[in-house]
Amino acid sequence: MISLQALRKTRGLGTQRFSLEIERLELRAGQQLALVGPSGCGKSTLLDLLAMVLQPDHAQQFVFSSDSQAFDVCQLWQDQRQDPLAQLRRRHLGYVLQAGGLLGFLDVRSNIALPRQVLGLGDDGSVQRLAEQLEIADQLDKKPAALSIGQRQRVSCARALAHNPELLLADEPTAALDPVNAERVMQLLLRQAQARQVACLIATHDETLARAAGLQVLRMVCRRDADGGVTATLERQP
Amino acid sequence: MMRPLLIAALAWQDYRNDARLSACSVLALVAVIAPLLVLFGLKFGLVSSLTERLERDPMVREIIPLGGGRFSADFVAELAERDDVAFALPRTRQIAATADLVLPARKVLVNVEMIPTALNDPLLQGLQVPSAIDQIVLSRTAAEKLGAQAGDQLDAAFTRQLAGQLQVQRSTLRVLAVLPLEAFERDALFAPLALLEAAEDYRDGRAVPALGWEGETDVGKAHRAYPAFRLYARNLSDVEPLRRFFADRQLLVSTQAPAIAQVQSLSRNLTLVFWIIAALALAGAFAAVCASALAAVERKRRELSVMRLLGFSTAALLAFVVLQALYSAVFAAGIGAALYALAESGLNQLFMQMPGEYASHLLPSHYLVALLAVLLASAAAAALGGWRVARIDACEGIRDV
Repeated sequence: MISLQALRKTRGLGTQRFSLEIERLELRAGQQLALVGPSGCGKSTLLDLLAMVLQPDHAQQFVFSSDSQAFDVCQLWQDQRQDPLAQLRRRHLGYVLQAGGLLGFLDVRSNIALPRQVLGLGDDGSVQRLAEQLEIADQLDKKPAALSIGQRQRVSCARALAHNPELLLADEPTAALDPVNAERVMQLLLRQAQARQVACLIATHDETLARAAGLQVLRMVCRRDADGGVTATLERQP
Repeated sequence: MMRPLLIAALAWQDYRNDARLSACSVLALVAVIAPLLVLFGLKFGLVSSLTERLERDPMVREIIPLGGGRFSADFVAELAERDDVAFALPRTRQIAATADLVLPARKVLVNVEMIPTALNDPLLQGLQVPSAIDQIVLSRTAAEKLGAQAGDQLDAAFTRQLAGQLQVQRSTLRVLAVLPLEAFERDALFAPLALLEAAEDYRDGRAVPALGWEGETDVGKAHRAYPAFRLYARNLSDVEPLRRFFADRQLLVSTQAPAIAQVQSLSRNLTLVFWIIAALALAGAFAAVCASALAAVERKRRELSVMRLLGFSTAALLAFVVLQALYSAVFAAGIGAALYALAESGLNQLFMQMPGEYASHLLPSHYLVALLAVLLASAAAAALGGWRVARIDACEGIRDV
């Protein structure tokens, strides 16, 4: 699904420098991984790189494969071909954001249905089904502002799965929730992902929660370099 | 472009969600459009009323030869054939073109001038035109003095002095119609040229066989020369070229060219003033829409980032911003037109002088052009201001929503 080799992304300079260096990362279809590590160690940066919304400075290999095709993401970035990148995102990717990332001017139903509409898929009842499975069916006609944080997270999960993507990325989907709700949302998300055979990479700082949910754990670590900057890497490659 | 209807629907939902800000952008545009419509309406209404007033009055298009001339019937016929001439007919000598009329029942004698007429005479518009030598149309003042009306028979007397003797010939003339006062304000009859030629021949001592009047018989009609003619230009704009045509042939003519030029100059000056004000106002509106689009992109940065994350292309996001500007433009054009309609009705009630004339007036095509101009300017300004959308990275704002 995703194959990365020697990827590097640097932000800032001197003591403000933050570098992410990934020697190797493979994510196969249907695989469910947790990306754990302390705050500020580059989990979100890695997710943005994998979501093809952040351009890497360098990558020896960055390939996204779907059933029939393989795409050289690195080359697309180098050529600044934004439209094929956008097409890859809308067709193959679901992304759950930490704060939900819902569009405030749409109601819950339209937020969930949007990725399907973008692909020209009609309403086959999947929006209603997902809402029922994620226990937000009674919130469908509300605007996101009227929902609790936990409900917004579930709407965000539903939106990320609505168009049956092959890869689900989630950035701290339970960080703002109390432990009971966090576990509940994580279970609901993984159950739906599993049912749809979706590959998952879920960033969380809560390793216990990740292990309890049955996820393989990828740990990120940071080190302070001689110039005062920080370099983040994956501790153990799967 | 990906799914234009979806983008239009999303833009509309966001536009509605931001109702207050949307209303502000609509009002900002209305503040430019409504005064411009009123200004153009006044310019168009005043100028067209003045122009129509001039065009309604055929006298304004009349070209009157001055001094004595000698024009052949062929020359006048050639003039009548010109594209810029609506009507041309020879005139006989004015001194010979008079008649004494009496309505037998009233016995009041009125001396009238005789004016030749024919088909397409601009003064006789809508009236029956005399075609036989015994048919006439009377001016309103003459008809009132005589107490005559259409259908009456009048006795006409033509006098001459020959060899010291006063001689008179009488003829019966039938009144076909009476002219409205504004068409001709003196005592006159309008008759076929043949009757005027007959009166002139008789007064020159020649015989008029058609009416049985005796006199000399050795002068042929082919040699007749006319001292003047009645000529009307087809349009106001044809008057000045015709004046130049006669001036080039050393023929002095009197026209209403200065009055026409005055209206045309007023139209030109008002047009210039309008376009200067319109250009300044449109430049201001363009800058305002541009700034508003720029601000909208900044304000909606998070939403636009999420949309980019969901796979919306740059063109789709730009269309999202431009469409919202177009929604504002459509509403502003509608409200502007409604406000103009109110202003137009008030201005016309205040300043209208004659029925059918307007102080302020716009044609449907003007509304259409205004709508297209507003849409075009808004789309261009929003595209310019919204271009910043191309530089929005999805990762830029998604952490905040």
